Formats: sequence, C-alpha cells, structure tokens
Amino acid sequence: MTAMIHEQHNMTPTVETKMTARDVKVFYGEKQAIKGVSIDVDMDNVTAFIGPSGCGKSTFLRTLNRMNDTVASARVEGTITLDGEDIYAPSMDVVQLRARVGMVFQKPNPFPKSIYENIAYGPRIHGLAHGKADLEVIVEKSLRRAGLWDEVKDRLHDSGTALSGGQQQRLCIGRAIAVEPEVILMDEPCSALDPIATAKIEELIHELRGRYAIVIVTHNMQQAARVSQRTAFFHLGELVEYGVTSDIFTNPRQERTKDYITGRYG
Amino acid sequence: MSATPTVPKRLPTDWKSDAMRKRIARRYAAERRFKLAGLLAVGLSAAFLAFLLFSMLGNGLRGFTRTEIAVQVDFPASPLLLDPNAITDQALANANLPMVTGAVVKKALGADAEEWVSPTAWTVLRDRIKADPRILGRIETIKLPASTAIDLAAKSQGSPDAEAAVNRLSKARLISTGFNWGFLTLSDGTDPTQVGIWGAFKGTLLTMLVTLALSFPVGVATAVYLEEYARKNWMTDVIEVSINNLAAVPSIIFGLLGLSIFLNVLHLPRSASLVGGMTLALMTMPVIVIAGRNAIKSVPPSIRDAALGVGASPVQVVFHHVLPLALPGILTGTIIGMARALGETAPLLMIGMRAFIATPPGGITDPATVLPVQIFLWSDEVSKGFVEKTSAAIIVLLVFLLAMNGLAIYLRNKFERRW
Amino acid sequence: MTGPAILLLLAGLGAIAWVSARARAMRLQTAARASGRRDAVHSLPGYHGWYVALWTLVPAGIFLAVWANVAPGLVTESVLSSPAAQSLPADDFSRSAILGEARAIAVGAQAGAFNPLSQGLVEPYKDAIGKYGMAGATLAIVLAFAGGAYAFTRVRPDFRTRTRVERLVMATLLIASLLAIITTLGIVASLLWESFRFFSMVSPIDFLFGIKWSPQSAALGYGNDDAFGAVPLFWGTIFIGAIIAMIVAIPLGLMSAIYLTQYASPTVRKWMKPTLEMLAGVPTVVYGYFAALTIAPALRDFAVKIGIHGASSESALAAGLVMGVMIIPFVSSMADDSIAAVPQSMRDGSLAMGATTSETISRVLIPAALPGVVGGVLLAVSRAIGETMIVVMAAGLAANLTLNPFASVTTVTTQIVQLLTGDQEFDSAKTLAAFALGLVLFIVTLLLNIVALRVVKKYREAYE
Repeated sequence: MTAMIHEQHNMTPTVETKMTARDVKVFYGEKQAIKGVSIDVDMDNVTAFIGPSGCGKSTFLRTLNRMNDTVASARVEGTITLDGEDIYAPSMDVVQLRARVGMVFQKPNPFPKSIYENIAYGPRIHGLAHGKADLEVIVEKSLRRAGLWDEVKDRLHDSGTALSGGQQQRLCIGRAIAVEPEVILMDEPCSALDPIATAKIEELIHELRGRYAIVIVTHNMQQAARVSQRTAFFHLGELVEYGVTSDIFTNPRQERTKDYITGRYG
Repeated sequence: MSATPTVPKRLPTDWKSDAMRKRIARRYAAERRFKLAGLLAVGLSAAFLAFLLFSMLGNGLRGFTRTEIAVQVDFPASPLLLDPNAITDQALANANLPMVTGAVVKKALGADAEEWVSPTAWTVLRDRIKADPRILGRIETIKLPASTAIDLAAKSQGSPDAEAAVNRLSKARLISTGFNWGFLTLSDGTDPTQVGIWGAFKGTLLTMLVTLALSFPVGVATAVYLEEYARKNWMTDVIEVSINNLAAVPSIIFGLLGLSIFLNVLHLPRSASLVGGMTLALMTMPVIVIAGRNAIKSVPPSIRDAALGVGASPVQVVFHHVLPLALPGILTGTIIGMARALGETAPLLMIGMRAFIATPPGGITDPATVLPVQIFLWSDEVSKGFVEKTSAAIIVLLVFLLAMNGLAIYLRNKFERRW
Repeated sequence: MTGPAILLLLAGLGAIAWVSARARAMRLQTAARASGRRDAVHSLPGYHGWYVALWTLVPAGIFLAVWANVAPGLVTESVLSSPAAQSLPADDFSRSAILGEARAIAVGAQAGAFNPLSQGLVEPYKDAIGKYGMAGATLAIVLAFAGGAYAFTRVRPDFRTRTRVERLVMATLLIASLLAIITTLGIVASLLWESFRFFSMVSPIDFLFGIKWSPQSAALGYGNDDAFGAVPLFWGTIFIGAIIAMIVAIPLGLMSAIYLTQYASPTVRKWMKPTLEMLAGVPTVVYGYFAALTIAPALRDFAVKIGIHGASSESALAAGLVMGVMIIPFVSSMADDSIAAVPQSMRDGSLAMGATTSETISRVLIPAALPGVVGGVLLAVSRAIGETMIVVMAAGLAANLTLNPFASVTTVTTQIVQLLTGDQEFDSAKTLAAFALGLVLFIVTLLLNIVALRVVKKYREAYE
C-alpha cells in the first residue's frame, strides 16, 4: 500500500509549499552556524536533512519552530515563512507557531506523567478539547495515529516513562500530533532506538505523510532513502544540494554530496 | 486512511479565530503574572534583607558615637590636692577624682549638672593629668562623656528633663559628638554609655581558636579517611550516617551535649571559651568533613594514578598530591563552617556563656562571653541606651561575617580549578 | 616542674630524636649504597626521623595524659595522710571546701585563706604537688628516652620505617573519623540518660500528651503531676516552624528559585543569588533581635488596630515570619537544585508543544521536580523547628494552645533554654525536662532528615 502511495506522488508532483526559508543565517554569539540556507518544505513529501555531524542540520531544523529562541546567544537572520507568514515577524506568536509546527526530539522525552496526560498536555494548554469526552477522543485518535493505541490502551494511566524507548518515541510523536500541527519536525528521532523500534517509527512516518509536512533530520543515509521523498544535504552550515531523494542518492550533482554518500567522510 | 470509523473527523484548528486569539492573550497574561510573582518573591526577600540591614545600621551607628559635654576646668581653683611634680598612680588614686569631677562640673554648668556627665567622666581628667601634669596649673576646657540620659536625649530619644538640659547645653555650644572608643575597648557593664564589645570580642576570638584547632584537623583527617582509604563496610557506613546526621542536628542539641558531658561529666570550667569552642567544634566538624570530601572528590583520579605509578605510597599520594590540590576547597568549607560557628548563640547559652562578664577573659579557661551572646544579653536589657549598643554590636558581627564569607568567595574564585 | 615546661622539654627531645635519627639513617644508607646494596635501602631518612620522634613523644605523651588525671587524687591522698589533716572536719562538704581553698593557695590562684584550717594545709599541698609533679616529669622523660632509644637502635638502612609511620598516620585518620560516631553516641547517650531520669519522675504519657506546661509550679513544690504536659510546646513549635514559617518560605523560596533560574538575566542572577544567600548567613540572634524589636511591636499594633483580641508583643506570627525569611534561601536552593536536575529535554519538549514558559514550569518542571522540592521542604522544616534564638527572643514563654497567630506561644527550643538557664540543680525534674524535650527534638529532626534525604535520593536516581 505504501508503495502505491509512493507511485501516486511521483506521478502527481503538484505540491503545496508549506514552509519556505530564504537566505537563513544562524549565529551563536560570534560563530556562524548556518550560512545562508534557502529551502522549501512541502505538504506531501517527507523532507530529510542529511549531512555529517555538526553540519548545522539540527540547528536549521530548530529555526523552523523557533526553538533557537530558548538559546540566549542564538541569532537568526533571513526569512522563514509558514503558509506565507514570516514566523520571525513580531506579529507571529511563538506559542501558536510551535503548536502548528510540532517537534520530536532525538532522545524520547515523555513528561514524567501518565501516557494519557502526556497526550492531553498539548490540547489542554492550547484549549483544543471541548470537555473531557472530547479530550478522550483526541487522546485515542492521537495514540492510534502514533501506532501506539493497541499497545497502551489498557494502561493509559501508567507513567509514560515506563514505556520502552521505541514506545516512548511514538508517544512523543503522538503528543506532537495531538495538537493537530501542520508541520512535524523530527530531530534524529531514531538515533536512540534499536532497529526494530526504528522500523516502527519509519513505518509511522510513512503513514503520517500527506497529513502533515514532515521534516526529518538523520545522519543515517539509508533511513533518509527509505522515508523521504526530498533530501537536503548540509555541509559546514551550507545547504549543498536539495532535490528528489532518489536523484540525490543515485545521481548527486555536487562533488561534496557524492563524497558523503559514497562514504568518503562523515 | 488510518483514521478508524470510531473517531469522528475533526476540523483543523482555526488559530486565527477570535476565541483562540482571546485564549492566547489570556495565556500570555498568566505568563506575565507568573513572572511578576517570581520577581516579587525575589524583590520581597531582598527588601527584607535591606530592611533588616538598614534598621540595624540606623540604630547601630549611633552606638559608635557618644555625646560629650565641654566643661571648663579651673585646675588651680579646684579642690584637687596634687603635686604636679609627683604624679603617680597611687597619688591619682588617692586624689578622690570622682568627687572633684562632680564639683568641677557643678561649678561650670550649674547645680544639677553633676548628673549630666557619665559616672566615669573622672577617668578623662585622670588621663589628662597623667599625660601632662602641667595642666594642673591651667584653666582648660575638657570634653567629658555625657551620662546615659543626656546621651539618649542628644540622640533625640530622651526624657523631657534631659531634653531640656540638652537644649540648654547646645545653646551654649557645649555639647558635641565624638567617636565612642570605649565601645571597642570596654567590656560588658550596667551603664549603657560605659559598655563595649572588647570582652565579648576577645571571648569570640578565643572560642573560635579552640573551635578551629579542634575541628580543622579532625575534619580534614575524617574527610581524607572516608574519601581515600575507607573500605566499604558497616563501620564506614556508620561514620557516614553519623556525619550526615550531625550536620543536620539542631545546634541547641550540641549545647545539651556540652552541658551534660563537658560540664557535668568531665567537669570542665563553666562559661569558658574552652568548652564553648569544643561544643562549636563538634558542630563545625561535619561541615568541614562534607566540604573536604567534595574538594577531595574533585581531584581527578588521574593524579592519584600518576603518583601511584611512580611508586608513591597511598599516604604519600594523599599528602603530597591530593591534599594540596584540595586545600582551597577545604579552606573555603572551613571558613563557611567557622562563619556559622561565629554566629551561633544557642549552644553557648546551654554551657553558661550567658554570664555577666565585665572583664575580658585572659585564657581559654576563664569565664567568657562571645559577640552573639553579648547581643542576646544586651537585647534583654531594659535600659533604652542598650538598643543602639545591641545594634552596634550586630554591625560588628555582620562585618566580620561578611569579611569571612568574602574571603571564602575570593578563595573559591581564585583557586577554583576545572579539571 | 610545671606543665608547659615539661611539654616544651618533650618537644625538644622529639626534635633532637628526629634530627639524630634522620642523620643516622642518612649515614647508614649512604654507606649501604656505597657498598652496592642499593635494594637494601627502604625508607627516606625523614621517615626514620619521624619514626624515632614518634616513639619518643607518643608513649611519654600518653603517660602524661594519664598522669594528669591520676595525680590530683594521689596529691589529695598524701595531703590527707599528713599530720595537719587530722584536724579536718568529718563531713565531706566542708572538708572538700577547705581542701579546695588550700589547693588554690598552694598553686597561687588565691592570695589568702578564709579558713585557718586551710592555711595549715597549704604546705603539705605544696609538698605533695611538687613531689608528684617531679615524679610525673621524671617518669615522662625516662619514657621518652626509653622509647627514643629503642626506636633509634632499630634504624637500619633496610628497616621499613615508612610503612610503620604510615600505619600510624592511618590509625590517626581512623580515630579522627570515629570521633563523629563518638559525638553521635555522646548526644544519644546524654539525651537518653537524662531523659530516663526525667521519665522516672514524670510519666512519658503525661509528658507527651499532657496539655498543661508549668515547670515553675513543679519547681516550687506543687508536684510533678500536670506540670510537664508538652503538647502546647509541640503545637507552638509546629505552629511557628512548620506552618507560619513555611507559609512564608515555600512560596517566596520557590518563586525566587523559579525566577532566578528561568527568567532572570545572567547579570541579575549573578547578583541576586548571593544576595538571597546572605539571608541564610545572618546569625539567628540578629533575626531574633529584629523580630523582637521591630516586627513584633508592629504586628501587635496592627492586630490591636484591626481589633484582634489576645495580641501580644511576643507573637507566633512575628517569630514565624522572620524564621520563614531566614529559611527562604534554604528552600530556594533546594528548589533550584531539583529544577536543575529535571532534564533539559523535558523543558524543550514542553516548549516545542507551544507551551509558555510559565506553563512549562508549573505543569512540567515543578511536577517533575516535586519529590526534590518536597524533600527540601522537609529539610527546611527540620531546620525551622530546631531553630532557637528567634523563638527565644520573639515567641515568648506562655505555653498557649492557640490558633491565634498574634498570641504568644512557646516552643520546645525556647523551653530548653528557659529550663537550663539560671541556677541549676541537676536532679530536679525541671532541668531534666529540658533533656526530654531535647530528645524529642533530636528524634523528630532526625526522622525528618532521613525521610527527606530518602525522597531526594530516590528522585535524583530517577534522572540518572
């Protein structure tokens, strides 16, 4: 079935651009971490950011929902828009932005609360549920979408930290889904997981595709090839190459990309 | 596709809707309130500290000054029978200076003026005569310390009578304010113009010396033993539990220990700096042990390995390498522990250091008092003049504490090493 | 021979022993090396020096310490057997008074005698003190020489003095660390022993559950029944230390910690943190004075103005407020540590969901840090109920069972101080009651600490 979707999208390349970045530069104090990156993220494709560690892919990802704001020394230049709205404009509310652009972190970070409370946290703070019954519906739906419902439906009130690593990460994805974001950013979501849990997350990403614009940072090229349709290669804070995943992997235009993919460095 | 029929389809959230805008505005208001509450908490705490310090300064600075009355002394005409060429201590003692001073003051200022000067004003005359016997042939204006009533009135808290006297004196420009050296050189007394902190200060010094001499070596030795040599067994556990508990035991319990063991079993002298110092040493030791252990722990194992590797014995490793590197940390902890001991009052009350001590202690076995206890004793005095003395003593105590803590911070910053 | 002189002499002997043993070891080792037996040299000459010096000093020192305790008894005995002592009165009290006076004159602490009998005893005393002093000094010096000589003969190039000296160092370290146990045992033993004596006079049930506290009436001879009910004291302690002080300290301490760690700029934090910590460094007697002089009268005037009855110039509120302020830095640093121990990823996770900072703090950080904060509060309570000077100076002595914060209440620590100051007869229930109160205080603070440390430790482990 997934293969079929794949086909469909390859045949209909009418994409709806969700986020655009134009000439984005990020500084940490004096040090420049991102050197003028421009990229479009669309609704129907999973976009993967690859590159050697320290290349700035995670930093750039964090500019997309302004998580860099929490770092006092960080400074962002350039424009990033969500549905055409500048997300760094004063009129943009960061709380709202982050509800619309969700994020999943490298290490699973469920809150030390019950599974139910973990999912309900977002809808509660944003006031998305109309009453308790509605909240329960949201929790169930989110857990189903995160592929976790069947595993946890009998123990919703157990602590989220008691789950296995892979389950925790799916819980975190469910938590992000619960506020109905438009974009989901995933920062190496599988790097702390074993292969089986990784496979589950990847499968989940396939299922979520199309409903949310998904950006995933990974240092695992096979993973990028498996889950994404668009790939961006970062190196030393620059965006070296961006294109259809299969092209990047089979026919890179830049020498640096080729070197990286063939394992010359990394 | 993956949505199951049980879950109804939800509309996407309309973040631009009025309800959502209002909600977000409310959340930001809550955020501001929360932040304000935090700021308020910090502000309140700091304001309390400021209020405390300012009220101590306000009351206490007056305690360092004394009111003086200028009195014209006509030595030749006074009933003083002294030979300028034979001024000895004995001759001065026999000259009945207190009476003469009274007469001189009466003559200069009026019949009721004898009560205006301090009962110890004659010592000023004595010292002047001693310093220059030729004064006996002259008429001289001498500033004599005022009595408590006048002193208070001059600092505008006196009785109506005294106020009137002060008014008269200040019209005649006879009244002035000088630094009260006596506050730094005298000991406890009954007349608030004639008390000082010297006795308590000396007692504090002796007590702290005993505390330091006992707690520092024992504390460092314990820290070294526990951190470097102790094997993990039940005895080590008991030692650790004891130290952690001692660090948390209320100070007054140490006083009870001092009373029942040091005084009633060992029959050591009551009220003495020795017993006070021993009691405080028991309190300070755990602080030094805990600080010492942290300091020793922070010396990286690679240093020990290196020393062991060139053939040093475990004792040499510790005394040649680990202790010198850990010393700044240990010293910082020691100073902090000593500062705590310096401010401690309750355990010392238990071992009798609240006695009225009018002479400074000569040694560690003499009855003594310490600054905090002196503050406590003066705070109980009814006489109004003691308020400023109490606050002044508090200022002295706080200055010492500040200096010690400043030293600790300086040491920490100067020698702090990041491995 | 006087004490200081003999100590000085011993120190001199020790120094000589050190120098000569070191020199001998050096000579012997040079000789050994010269003859090619390099492996035969074990310890540095300095260790030989220490070895001999310690053998010179330690046995003599131990002997002197023992002698100092034994000699006075021997002196008294020899004085009593002198002819002048035959005329001493038979009853112990006057006998010891006279002996004490004679002794004071003999050692020069007193100029003349009130009792002619003691004057006659001065000479025998002087003789006896001189005789035994000389004997002790001689014995000590002989011991020093003997020890030093024994050790000196053992100085050989291959003698393992370092091992022996180090063994002594280790023993010293061990003994030092045992002092902590001895102190704890001393506290427990003295509290238990005196409390045991108290409970032989007053029933523990009456003490722990009685609601009337008036030790004065017991001291005046009205009997111990109904005079030692400590419930009003326990209530006063809890009211001030665990309720009023915590109402002040928990919100202020917690919010200060939150503001300084989550909101304040680095400059503000750098200045305000030490400023708040100063609150913990102010001696309690200063707080007590401040509470009694400034806060308590102001509160009383306020209470009178708003028409509260029973307002006293020594009130639970004044003491509790000031104590709460004293505890603020304590609560705030515990809260600070607990919040800092919550992984940054929790904070990021919440912020990335679109939560505001305050939502993140109150819904994620605080609940996650709660065990640590609770542990910290328990420690703070334990410190507050053991605090003495503030309540002694500001809370009063009236043992009231009241809920009125403007009224005067008394606490366990206040009463300990009250019972034990002034003239004491050590057998009266009144003074012994102080130890029973001390025992209760010790047990309660100990339990609070154990529970608190457990909670904090469990919590720390959860994030490691």
